[in-house]
Amino acid sequence: MSIFGNFCKHYSSQQMFVVLALAGTIGGCATASVEDQKIVANKADPYERVNRKVFNFNDKLDNYVAEPIAQGYKAITPDFVQTGVFNFYNNLKNINVVLNDVLQAKFSQGAEDTGRFMVNSTLGLLGVVDVAKKLGLEQNDEDFEQTLAVWGVPRGPYMVLPLLGPVTARGIPGAVFDTAANPSSYVGAPVQLMSVLNTRANAEGSLKFIDEAALDPYVFTRESFLQWRNGLATDGKSSETADFEDDLGEESSSKTLADFNRKGFAGEAQKFTDVSKSFTSVEQSFENTAKSFQNAADKLEKLKK
Amino acid sequence: MAVKNVKKMLMLAGFSLLVSMNGFAEEQATTAKQVVENFQGQLLAVMKSGKQTDFAGRYSKLFDAVSKSHDLTKIARIVVGKEWEKLTEAQQQKLVEVFSKFSVASYAHNFKDYDGETFVFDSEEETTKGGVVIHSHLTIPDEKDVKFDYMLKDNGGNWRIINIIANGVSDLALKRTEYTSVLQRDGFDALISKINEKIDNYSKL
Repeated sequence: MSIFGNFCKHYSSQQMFVVLALAGTIGGCATASVEDQKIVANKADPYERVNRKVFNFNDKLDNYVAEPIAQGYKAITPDFVQTGVFNFYNNLKNINVVLNDVLQAKFSQGAEDTGRFMVNSTLGLLGVVDVAKKLGLEQNDEDFEQTLAVWGVPRGPYMVLPLLGPVTARGIPGAVFDTAANPSSYVGAPVQLMSVLNTRANAEGSLKFIDEAALDPYVFTRESFLQWRNGLATDGKSSETADFEDDLGEESSSKTLADFNRKGFAGEAQKFTDVSKSFTSVEQSFENTAKSFQNAADKLEKLKK
Repeated sequence: MAVKNVKKMLMLAGFSLLVSMNGFAEEQATTAKQVVENFQGQLLAVMKSGKQTDFAGRYSKLFDAVSKSHDLTKIARIVVGKEWEKLTEAQQQKLVEVFSKFSVASYAHNFKDYDGETFVFDSEEETTKGGVVIHSHLTIPDEKDVKFDYMLKDNGGNWRIINIIANGVSDLALKRTEYTSVLQRDGFDALISKINEKIDNYSKL
């Protein structure tokens, strides 16, 4: 029944790295035309016309390729294995969570997440069993896009990338960093493939939910994605009490963010420079990751045949 | 004897008046928190009996629960935003009717299993515009808690839910973007037929 829980899980494991280069293309080919006038302009989504096309493409690809494969995987894999696989990858993500805790100056949360990683990696048999959860250590959801948000980097336009799905401009460097900080990025194609498969299998419920509830699945996905990301970046403190009656068409803005920017931006700016320096090396490792992802994609292609 | 009877009757009348007044006062004093908790209780009850009750059964139970706790007219109005003014009165009525059905149907479809979930009250907050937000969360065994925040407004002395924010995703904001988008792109009739299609699907699934 955890419809929203499931729904959100779908996005939390962002497998959003393969065709980042295409983001440029998307931006480039969005030109105003007569057709555009039919589509209601949305501030957050200036490329709606192109995004919709990519969305439909992804949807078809999912129906014909990813869904059958994921269902096959589900059918032959017992539930406890699926959970184990999820836990394993999820545990590896914790390294990145800790890094981002520190970058956002959430030190006690960082200590908690470090403890979580240590416990699960040892007692939890390399992360396959989520022991920390049973000890009351809940998983925190942090990533580099949230860190950038905390540092005051604007969100940028919403985009739908081929294969990868929804992302915002800020999410792209976010995903690059997160990929680089995740050990599973360096192990090679079979591991990636397994992770993608398992994620898709777990997303089954959320995708079904959208299918059933949405009058316009594109808008539904966009809005819930943006709201969900915004909620994460502000740790749930944003616009909860927005009053809709005199506030039609408002863009949710976060008080916490503004406060943070006033108080601590100078220090954070320094951190940001440091991080951007390390980006060059990140880029290198990202290229390798992209290659292994390409391999995975080729294998998917073969599987399809 | 007769005097005694009259006395008795008077006492009885007085007593029953007291009781009814008491009942009246209680109804008046239903707080926002109680409205939310009553609704959550009814939702859990429907979930618990989900295996025995079919869609129609859950629908009729929930129709009562939802309409007594939500301000469906206001929600429907907000959901179409500025387009509301452009609708005829008949269209407005139609929208409220279909929207209410859709809301209940989606509850009836999605809340049919029970795995030991419980709602826990966290805190209450007053908004600047005279609304109340009830912060709560749903605990699900072996899964992460889901935050549920309810925004309530006073509707003629009764607190009514106008928005639910689940894990930071506002149902009202989500629906508003979606509905205004469909309205502007495809028009009123298309919106209604799309909603009806969804209700139909829910009842079949």
